[in-house]
Amino acid sequence: MSTLAVTEAPHIDWAGISSLIALFGGAVVVLLVGLLRARFARLTLVPVLTIVAFAASIGLAIWQWDEDTSLMSGALGLDPLAMIGVVGIGVAGIAAVLLSIGATAPREAAHGEYHAMMLVAAAGGAMFVGAENLITTFIGLELLSIPLYVLAATELHRRRSLESGLKYLIVGSVGSATLLYGFALIFGATGSLDYAAIADQVAAKGLGDDPLMLGGVAMVVVGLAFKSSVAPFHQWTPDVYEGAPTPVTAFMATATKVAALIAFLRLFDGALIGASDAWGPALAALASIAIIVGNVGALGQSSMKRLLAFSSIAQAGYMLVGVVVATKLGVQATVFYVLTYVVMTAAAFAVIEAAERESGHDGISALAGLGRRRPLHAIALTLSMLGLAGVPATVGFVAKLRIVQAAVDGDYSWLAIVLVVGSMISFVYYLRVVARLWTDEPAGVAVAPQSQAVEVEAPEAVATTTAVADPKGLPAAAVPGGGAVVVTGATILPMTVLAVVAGAAIVVLGVIPGPLMTVVEDVARAVPELFR
Amino acid sequence: MDEILFFVAGIAAIVAAAGTVFLRNPFYAVLSLVVHLLSLSMLFLLLYAQFVAVVQVMVYVGAVMVLYVFVNAYVGGGSEPEGGGGPSLRMFSYAIAITLIVTIGIAVLGTGLQAIDGSGPDDIPASFGSPGEIGKLLLTKFLLPFEAASFLLLVAAIGAVVLARRRRGVLPGEERMVAALDLLAPTGTGSMREGVGAINPTPGGFSARITPSTGAGTLPASDDRTGDDSEGGSR
Repeated sequence: MSTLAVTEAPHIDWAGISSLIALFGGAVVVLLVGLLRARFARLTLVPVLTIVAFAASIGLAIWQWDEDTSLMSGALGLDPLAMIGVVGIGVAGIAAVLLSIGATAPREAAHGEYHAMMLVAAAGGAMFVGAENLITTFIGLELLSIPLYVLAATELHRRRSLESGLKYLIVGSVGSATLLYGFALIFGATGSLDYAAIADQVAAKGLGDDPLMLGGVAMVVVGLAFKSSVAPFHQWTPDVYEGAPTPVTAFMATATKVAALIAFLRLFDGALIGASDAWGPALAALASIAIIVGNVGALGQSSMKRLLAFSSIAQAGYMLVGVVVATKLGVQATVFYVLTYVVMTAAAFAVIEAAERESGHDGISALAGLGRRRPLHAIALTLSMLGLAGVPATVGFVAKLRIVQAAVDGDYSWLAIVLVVGSMISFVYYLRVVARLWTDEPAGVAVAPQSQAVEVEAPEAVATTTAVADPKGLPAAAVPGGGAVVVTGATILPMTVLAVVAGAAIVVLGVIPGPLMTVVEDVARAVPELFR
Repeated sequence: MDEILFFVAGIAAIVAAAGTVFLRNPFYAVLSLVVHLLSLSMLFLLLYAQFVAVVQVMVYVGAVMVLYVFVNAYVGGGSEPEGGGGPSLRMFSYAIAITLIVTIGIAVLGTGLQAIDGSGPDDIPASFGSPGEIGKLLLTKFLLPFEAASFLLLVAAIGAVVLARRRRGVLPGEERMVAALDLLAPTGTGSMREGVGAINPTPGGFSARITPSTGAGTLPASDDRTGDDSEGGSR
């Protein structure tokens, strides 16, 4: 009998990893509670528990704010950059859960499964933003992506939703595979998987112009650009955003953006900083293409979700500028921007979801005359649009100013000019939405305030006539057999709450940006490789 | 010897991978994928990763591929769909493919070929790539990714269930309650139409949740949906 080999188990800092455990544990609890018979448990308890899990994760992340170390044998960083990512993803998650209350998607997917997938995706995002090791990065990315592929397809009776999930799956897999190939080449060039060791190897061996290394870096850029929908790799974004259920779109737009941009920062401004001469110009080109393509593409859109998809491409370009300059100011500017982007986008999607429940579609015409019908929603959406455009006195202006400042400071003045020109173009479509909100009186849009029927696309199983979204918004449920009819409970209270809170945050942070800026300044601790 | 094996396995892997993409018959495509995976396992052996090579053969070739072949035999065989896409899309895909090939080509030719001349690292211990070493790594250095991977499998299973389970009651007239027990509950109890509030908006005192007996409702045209899971139905 041979003795067992003695292996020392790694030290696990339970306090440090607690924010991640809150998300994973919450997913398991929510999944089990979703199995209960009682309607109360499924419809009420599950969303409440999900919000509790997100809030606990945020709280634990704030509790661990001052830490500055790495966990589980260097797999996960515990520093302000990771923690601020967890907070951003948690806020995005709470917003998405609020939007899901009363929505069709969780009912079709079953509440427990739907919310558990959302929590696991958030946990994946939390791993992605904290990863200090290529393996953790990849697992975190997959953990973030795979639930989202399913969530995008959860409105099973709607063909567009299935199409959206399938498109996201295929394009996302291409992105993941490209990223993984890039990681393999980087591993081959440096012989190491840890970010710190990679940075050391690049510096020590002068791998800045090694072909293997550069091939790996190029493929990592492509993979991450797919994930954060940066321009030449953005084709999936409008279709997926439009087809997916609106709460899922909101989560995708916000949480994925936070995770992907912070991963960009950590990987490029941390591990690969030695090769910045090579990737700097490439990323700058990508950022400027994203700014132009996103802003020009958004001009002709009539669907709000498509418009926000193109807008998100442009915004990804703005945020990438902070990565490109590779300075501490750039890191701070990108983190600040990505946080404000979460708030502004959450407000917009809250109003869109409410309008969609009332009119059955997400076209800009659904918003016509909203200023008279629902002034709170109209004000929130106006603030969100002005913020995304970058009007002073909103937080979007402060964020954009920081990015421009970082670009000029980092000798990328031309990129700052592209950014400003792009913002000028963006005013056209943002202000068009605002004008639609306040001036147009809805022509023949009879909107019933309470529970009402909304006609949706015919599901594939039924060979009846295709039900076109009824422009008159008549209660179609009264017509039996008249195509597929989904009756929404039309609860829009959670949307109003979210819109008001997010709208208020846009103004308050825009007028008093100091506190958030101080917080964000801490994140520079996480990228010690940057000296400026 | 190593070089010969490397080139044989490498060329076989590339040719088989290309075959997987280009072969029109799905059955041949799967078989081509099997050849590809076998070649990959040989490459793993050359890299001193015996355990990974064995797992590759057992899991992928043995289990996953058999599943693919079965699925193919059941549902495949029909007329294969013609690839769509406009000419601009096609040009774009060619452009991406060429860029990728050039990138990888530069990387591989730049450094990879130099390594073939060498004799490889000398100081690889015999235990490298053994199950024990891999297990040790999984439980020490890569403990967190290892645990997270199990969540990945869990969520993939949940997602598969969510997508495969088409819950009944979305469409009018889809629910049918004929079992005697179901008379106690209002029509449509437990269906998804109730879930979205189309019927029984407020469950009254008599609408206790009662499991419809399996096979209760059989739609004339769609027998395969019998016993389909509905909300609160057969949980």
